[in-house]
Amino acid sequence: MELRNISKGFPGVIANRDISMSVERGTIHAIVGENGAGKSTLMKTLYGLHRPDSGTVAVHGQVVDFRSPSDAIEAGIGMVHQHFMLADNLTVLENIILGAEPAKAGVINAREAGRKIAELAKSLGVEIDVNSPVAELGVGQRQRVEILKVLYRGAKTLILDEPTAVLVPQEVDELFDNLRRLVAAGTTVLFISHKLDEVLAVSNRITVIRQGTTVGTVTPAEVTRRQLAEMMVGSDLPQPAPRTTQVREQVRLEVKNLTVARVGQRDLVRDVSLAVRSGEILGVAGVEGNGQFELCSALLGREHSTGTVAIDGNDVSRASVRERMNAGLAYVPFDRQREGLMLTSSLWENNLLGQEEKFTKFGFVNVGAARAACRTVIKRFGVLTPSEEVPAFALSGGNQQKLVVGRTMSMNPAVLLAAHPTRGIDVGAQAAVWEEVRQARDAGLAVLLVSADLDELLGLSDRVIVMFEGAIVAELLPREATPELLGTYMTGAKVGS
Amino acid sequence: MKLSRRARLLVLFAVPIALMSIVRLWSGEDGLTSSDTIGASLRLSVPILLAGLAGLWAERCGVLNIGIEGMMIFGTWFGGWGAWQFGPWLGLAFAVLGGMLGGLIHAIATVRFNVDQIISGVVLNLLAFFGVRYMSDLAFVGQPGGGVSQSPPQTSAIPRFDVPFISGGDLFGWKSPNVLLSLEDSGWFFIGDLAGILYGLTNNLSWGTVIGVAAVPATFWILWRTRLGLRLRSSGESPTAAETLGVNVIRLRYVGLLVSGGLAGYAGGILAIVASSYYRQGQTAGRGYIGLATMIFGNWRPIGVLGGASLFGYTEGVKLVANDAISTLFLFVALAAVLLAVMAVVNRTTTRGIVAVFVSVIAAYAYLAIEDVPQSLTQSLPYLATLIVLATASQRLRPPAMAGVPYRRGESH
Repeated sequence: MELRNISKGFPGVIANRDISMSVERGTIHAIVGENGAGKSTLMKTLYGLHRPDSGTVAVHGQVVDFRSPSDAIEAGIGMVHQHFMLADNLTVLENIILGAEPAKAGVINAREAGRKIAELAKSLGVEIDVNSPVAELGVGQRQRVEILKVLYRGAKTLILDEPTAVLVPQEVDELFDNLRRLVAAGTTVLFISHKLDEVLAVSNRITVIRQGTTVGTVTPAEVTRRQLAEMMVGSDLPQPAPRTTQVREQVRLEVKNLTVARVGQRDLVRDVSLAVRSGEILGVAGVEGNGQFELCSALLGREHSTGTVAIDGNDVSRASVRERMNAGLAYVPFDRQREGLMLTSSLWENNLLGQEEKFTKFGFVNVGAARAACRTVIKRFGVLTPSEEVPAFALSGGNQQKLVVGRTMSMNPAVLLAAHPTRGIDVGAQAAVWEEVRQARDAGLAVLLVSADLDELLGLSDRVIVMFEGAIVAELLPREATPELLGTYMTGAKVGS
Repeated sequence: MKLSRRARLLVLFAVPIALMSIVRLWSGEDGLTSSDTIGASLRLSVPILLAGLAGLWAERCGVLNIGIEGMMIFGTWFGGWGAWQFGPWLGLAFAVLGGMLGGLIHAIATVRFNVDQIISGVVLNLLAFFGVRYMSDLAFVGQPGGGVSQSPPQTSAIPRFDVPFISGGDLFGWKSPNVLLSLEDSGWFFIGDLAGILYGLTNNLSWGTVIGVAAVPATFWILWRTRLGLRLRSSGESPTAAETLGVNVIRLRYVGLLVSGGLAGYAGGILAIVASSYYRQGQTAGRGYIGLATMIFGNWRPIGVLGGASLFGYTEGVKLVANDAISTLFLFVALAAVLLAVMAVVNRTTTRGIVAVFVSVIAAYAYLAIEDVPQSLTQSLPYLATLIVLATASQRLRPPAMAGVPYRRGESH
């Protein structure tokens, strides 16, 4: 596959500029770059989701013009999306054959489909029950279903968009084994990632993209991790700096025997006890869906729970959300669009959320003060926006996140629940958020940090706990916690002390 | 107790019949399993069944259909008009077309213009209600027997038949023996009741009813065995995934809603042509909404919808044919609950056992204490059953994941 001078612009931005690269058959070719560097735009071009403004794509020496994904599929190119495109209530088999069903007079031949899928699964080296609903599968298996879906359509080139983002280290190894098998059988894999260790471990060649254009193509043998990172960023690296703080004595958040139960299900949070001290960041690791969300909801008072929660020594176990916030609790939500923002409202109204009492008098909002407060947040956190009047949906994801974090921090909380505070934002913004959290911590803030980014977790936290199936299964110090060890706990393969 | 699938199904059918038989012998009231009751139940079930299937088709392709009632109204009107003008069979065809017109309106509004699906459905119901009144004014007023609220009577009906050999049907002019009726008249334990039920289902059948019931296996087969069905379900489960695989979600939603409208229209046609012989305003009497309830009751599956529709039809049938037998229904419930309580003891599920005992006591008390069951109570029984199912099974219900969510092409990326 050969790309020449691909450019693609969207209103106001140029996402791809003059991209050229060539991919050899039967190799794993990685494309790395920061968030927003233009990787996904490039992949969508390759998959026919949109057409480039200029430049050409050639497959096996022939110039092609993809108008839709079906054109790409026909040319043997398949894409595994970062967010799985699966119907949960349909079975594995139904998901795989959908759109390419083997049928006679419209009646599906399920047996033939099952046979073909079993063959493909074997070549991939996975075992899967084709008749179980996708809803019952784990994340790793769902990804296999996505890969099988693409292979089923006869794809010879596989595009994987950030395939490891949702996996724990062990699953990543399995995935890489599967990919190596495929490549050995003649398939080509295009692998998009920003995780450099993985890229170095698995790929034959690596193309680096920065600010929408190709910086260069290298082989893993030629470069170190650091060199690769500098190619990606184009300058020195931001890093979670080493800890210089002293954790103080004062316990700011104390949780005892917290349990969240649901009728007819196992407990979502099971007997969790923890304490976060002033000036301490307690990291929470775990595969998503193991109770982290419910733990935060329960601490916030949105979810009914048993056990006790105390903030600065005051028991708030029965308190409402508002009372807990007044006691000093603040929350950076898991999903900024669903829980954090009113997308169609202006930024200053969004910034007002949660602190209306501060900006109202006799029931009237002091609009001037609210706007000024929002401008302060915009300035302090570097939110890129023309003004505080624009609606929240007009901002990019990173800038939305900066606003949410800024709003939370400007409330001067005593205890911060931060869930994925830097998810999906660029490196610069990430560094800014980290710096703010660090400064607040040094001033005495207690932080409960939930994150899927193990580097962030290990870099920021003073202690790390691992949650599995709602319970704390391990507590570690960052210096003793390698990603592999964490992965072992996260999958429940081992229970620590 | 672990039983094979087949054995469990057998128990599921045999035990209630045995209980009913006991109730009949005990109380001397044979209305619960008489062929008259069952026949009426079947006739009353079919429109509800078709309305439920109409809801199933719509929601499986991803669109909520509150407008089933309206589509049924179209069905009754066009059916009544068509049957009056061209005879009963063409009448049914017009009923289907009328319902499909409703489905098309709903599809254009919700799929093409992304109107809120609930609002579109409600508007459709109102439109149908007032629209057919206007059309009646044009078509029926001034005709003999016709008026603004009803059509002139039809002169011929859809033929009816008895099944040969078991229910005394004709076979090439020869009248076959009526085995089931003799068995029912025997009044033997279990056999008499089973024969009554089967005879009720097989005598004096209208072809219109047979076609209606055939929609159940047809729906299952199309939706779960064919390419069209898989694609249609996928546009209700995950339209984005479907679209990335080259499935035309928009077109399939049109297909789903047209079939939905056609089924609802046929349900209306049954009411105007098979259950009576003229169109009358208000003939649907809210059956479209009951159909939606059976869809939920049946967990969005055709067999489940059949079960729900039978439940509604049966209580209505008992009320209609054997009003005196209604109080014995309480005895039946009491006995069934006792049985469930015994099973709970065997399986050591305490909560279920206590609930069963409680229900049993209440039902037994009701049987002994209530002389004359108020109509409003019996009418609400099926709704009560649906509520109980929803309350206890809502964890296990699996509605199509994206039903009710508008889909715009290409917006997912």
